[in-house]
Amino acid sequence: MAPPNAQAAGAGTPEGTPASALISPPRRPISLPRLPVNLPRFFTSVPRMLVKKRTAEAPRTEAAVAPATVGGSARENADPGIVLRVTDLVKRFGSTVAVDQVSLSVPAGTIFGIVGPNGAGKTTTLSMVTGLLRPDGGTVAVHGADVWSDPVVAKRNMGVLPDRLRLFDRLTGGQLLYYSGILRGLDAATVRARSHDLAVAFGLEDALGRLVADYSAGMTKKIALASAMIHSPRLLVLDEPFESVDPVSAANVTEILQRYVAAGGTVVLSSHSMDLIQRICDLVAIVVSGRVLAAGTMEDVRGAGSLEERFVELAGGRKTAEGMEWLHSFSD
Amino acid sequence: MVAQFLGLKLRLLANIFRRSPIQLVGIIIGLVYGLGLAIVAVIGLVGLRFVDTPLAASITVTIGSVVVAAFLLVPLAFGVDDTLDPRAFSLFGVPTTRIAAGLAVAALVGVPALAIAVIAVAQVATWTRNPLATILALLGAVIIVVTCVLGARVSTSIAAFLLATRRAREITGLIALIVIVSLSPLVVALTAVNWQRDGLFVLSGVSDVAAWTPLGAVWSAPAEAASGHVGLALAKFAIAVVFAGALWFAWRALVGWMLVTPQREARTKRYSGLGWFASVPATQTGAIAARSITYWVRDARYHTSLVAIPIAPLIFVVALAVAGVPGSALALIPVPAMSLFLSWAIHNDVSYDHSAIWLHVASNVSGRADRLGRIVPALILGVPLILIGSPISASIYGDPSVLPSMIGVSSSVLLAGLGLSSVISARFPYPAVRPGDSPFAQPQASGTAAGLIQSVAFFAAIILALPALGLAALGLMYGGAWPTLSLLVGVVLGVVFLVLGVTWGGAIFNRRGPELLAFTLRN
Repeated sequence: MAPPNAQAAGAGTPEGTPASALISPPRRPISLPRLPVNLPRFFTSVPRMLVKKRTAEAPRTEAAVAPATVGGSARENADPGIVLRVTDLVKRFGSTVAVDQVSLSVPAGTIFGIVGPNGAGKTTTLSMVTGLLRPDGGTVAVHGADVWSDPVVAKRNMGVLPDRLRLFDRLTGGQLLYYSGILRGLDAATVRARSHDLAVAFGLEDALGRLVADYSAGMTKKIALASAMIHSPRLLVLDEPFESVDPVSAANVTEILQRYVAAGGTVVLSSHSMDLIQRICDLVAIVVSGRVLAAGTMEDVRGAGSLEERFVELAGGRKTAEGMEWLHSFSD
Repeated sequence: MVAQFLGLKLRLLANIFRRSPIQLVGIIIGLVYGLGLAIVAVIGLVGLRFVDTPLAASITVTIGSVVVAAFLLVPLAFGVDDTLDPRAFSLFGVPTTRIAAGLAVAALVGVPALAIAVIAVAQVATWTRNPLATILALLGAVIIVVTCVLGARVSTSIAAFLLATRRAREITGLIALIVIVSLSPLVVALTAVNWQRDGLFVLSGVSDVAAWTPLGAVWSAPAEAASGHVGLALAKFAIAVVFAGALWFAWRALVGWMLVTPQREARTKRYSGLGWFASVPATQTGAIAARSITYWVRDARYHTSLVAIPIAPLIFVVALAVAGVPGSALALIPVPAMSLFLSWAIHNDVSYDHSAIWLHVASNVSGRADRLGRIVPALILGVPLILIGSPISASIYGDPSVLPSMIGVSSSVLLAGLGLSSVISARFPYPAVRPGDSPFAQPQASGTAAGLIQSVAFFAAIILALPALGLAALGLMYGGAWPTLSLLVGVVLGVVFLVLGVTWGGAIFNRRGPELLAFTLRN
């Protein structure tokens, strides 16, 4: 299965190292409301930039994308277009390698989706990106600042929604928002104003006076999302932001994210919902067993089929349901 | 079906031994302890065979009643982790009676059930005095085991089911604490009894009442038979049988109900405004302080500290008073002791947050702000405690000249202890009760490390206050300028240790933020 167009070809890394993700479109002109429909037109400008540095070597995986050396610039980390640059990230737990040399580049003004089967290392990767888990190797740079050597700047530019971590849930929703805002260095008046806006946007107005411990799973997710955004970061790193969120709220959240991106913000999110990723993400990386198997624009990665088809193919294919005939003769 | 439940329970027991060595040691200690108690009881019960019937009856009925009550109440108060919750089997479509029976039989496998079975058999040895007594003791042994095991099953399920809401769990935990605390005067009263003279009288009084309750009837029936009171014996045996039967029906009904009822929904309370957050400066330190205060007020785990801080020194004082230490000297103890417990209360504060600490790591909260914010609630309580409590103590002691020493020692203990806790909670966290669990729930994997850290945090705080303590002792002996010196040294050293602790703890927190988070995630 060949890449459908030139922009996804090429892998500059030597044999054996995983392909790194690279896409560096210029900053997107702001257009409100931005719809995914605009994307194909937009990405037609990308190939010319990428062709410059492409090496002749064959890609290790068909969907591999060239490494990020746009324009041959030596100042990779200072590249103004790249908000998040992950290089050769490694994490081992005992003898298992959870994350195996993952490299990603996320340009400003995009929604970057990370998909992968259960246990693929998505959460581990995002935890290392957000400074919550110390990597065994590799670097993470947010807006040019290294997360692990210059955390003050890097973390200020990042809003974080971790998956399966607790919140300070003995606080009310309003208190949690306020707490998050103050910890991020905002002043009280700003936090109050933004708390109100966020509560309206997420439909949490009536819930701000209740303890987060008493929230439903979906509401907890929403208050955590709101807390992640309150300091208006450049980059939002969201682990499973749509899990257990109802469809109406998910549509709301999607719209909020799309407007944020249209204004120049950047979102990295992981999800199990292929439809949703395909619908809202500009760029996507498929991670399996701690490695990036495919990365690039949505069109490149999914090719002719849907993202789900491509994902199932890369993730090892579906098991056929042979030998399950007994399931079709019902017991009483 | 019953065989499958039994197999499952045995499998679960076997899997206990597949955990880490430290846990294994704890489990083995528990096993040895439980079976050791049972063996002591067996020796006692066999020994009672050679004792007069009334005395033997008083002893077996009293102790037996306490044992049965423990089986009924302990799961309720402390919330036992129920691996064989009936609701786990609701989707298998097994008839209710069979689930109830299977789970009841499976409950016979376990250390407490084994221990009570051993004791129940041993009480037969006490009562083989005539044929009827022997028969009633034999049948009674079965009833004892059934009553205890079913009783524990019923109350475990009630704890897991009816007390499942967060608020209910926290409230039962607190009630249990208050009951234990209010029992301590009873214990003191019991120690005040002249046992050599009145012991038998007290014991028979208790057992006479207990023998007619379902708790003691089964223990009393063979005793009555041994004394020749056939009618009383049968009546008491009937009480025991009816109670065991009632427990079975309660269990059967509870299982039936649990299988078709979803979790109870908690009623939620509404709060308005920002609470403490509105009255602190809008800085990292201020926000963390407000959050800490809010948790001290709202979280049951902190409530147990709040209740224990004034109670623990009092129990200590009562014990010393019973031992004959004069009252005036005892007046010097409570304020420094409460200061010590107060500063000790936050030595594992990071673990209490569990993985919510990610917010501090992701927000790059400065370690100093984190440390300072967490000690604010203890200071809010501690400073007034010292300023108000010290003059009261000094006046009870009857010599106002001890006041400076009192303040010096107390502030030294409080401030230095808080500094110490700031370092320890950042560097040596150990597993704590998780947010929302009952304050008495046993944290998973709490090993010997926890005990060691607790003792170090406690005694190191005392050591840091030794200069002030020494000067205060000199003041008590010689008077003069020593108390003033104790005040000065105590306060200055306290502040120095506090600043050092916050700075050092803050640096550790900055360095080890991700490791702290990883630690909380492992538990």
